[in-house]
Amino acid sequence: MTSRYEIGFIVTPEVNEEEVKKIIESITSTITKAKGVIENLDEWGRKKLAFPIQKNLEGYYVFVQTEVDGSVIATLERRMKQMEKVLRFITLRLDDKLKKSNKLTKRWAKIDRIRKKTMDSSRSEEKESEDFTESEEETDATEK
Amino acid sequence: MQPRSNAGDNKPPKKYYSARKKFCAFCKDKVTLIDYKNHKFLENFISETGRIFPARVSGTCAYHQKQLSKAIKRARQMAMIRFTEEKKRIS
Repeated sequence: MTSRYEIGFIVTPEVNEEEVKKIIESITSTITKAKGVIENLDEWGRKKLAFPIQKNLEGYYVFVQTEVDGSVIATLERRMKQMEKVLRFITLRLDDKLKKSNKLTKRWAKIDRIRKKTMDSSRSEEKESEDFTESEEETDATEK
Repeated sequence: MQPRSNAGDNKPPKKYYSARKKFCAFCKDKVTLIDYKNHKFLENFISETGRIFPARVSGTCAYHQKQLSKAIKRARQMAMIRFTEEKKRIS
């Protein structure tokens, strides 16, 4: 079973950019070897941390969004724990969250549709009582 | 809200007022997924000392408050948002 994941980690500021690239490659290569797909990779670069971690005031932020098997994520987590250059990491499963958000968007769309219908019907009724000619023109415009 | 004006008699206007109704900031913009990476936005829901505002203060609905608190905690874990900060004392 493959599902969508998001991995984020912070690398120490002491390392050069080449070493950061090596770490990213080691993670991406393990994903691609397990027939995973890397959907998005964004590097924030060096950023100030909100609080010092192991006496480091800065950190190199990297975020990877992938679609792989769950067992690969477990191995990656184990490996990142052992890496001394990685200060912090986080892994999230996005599948259920996206499902929930899709449900919400659908529900909101439905509410909007019903609200519009009621608004239109109320408006048209008002106008019909006032003028018959205007309401007819409006309905034609909406149909087009 | 304006206090109710009593035009006829000389009574002072009523002291208590009805507070403006708060709206969920996420329902208003139709946000469905609160991302922990968007830390600048999350900082609006944090007090000076780093506490998460309760839903009754910020006005967020229960559904979004649940997601928001989780997102803030994740952002803290990744050192984007501070856990606590000492109160600035006026000497």
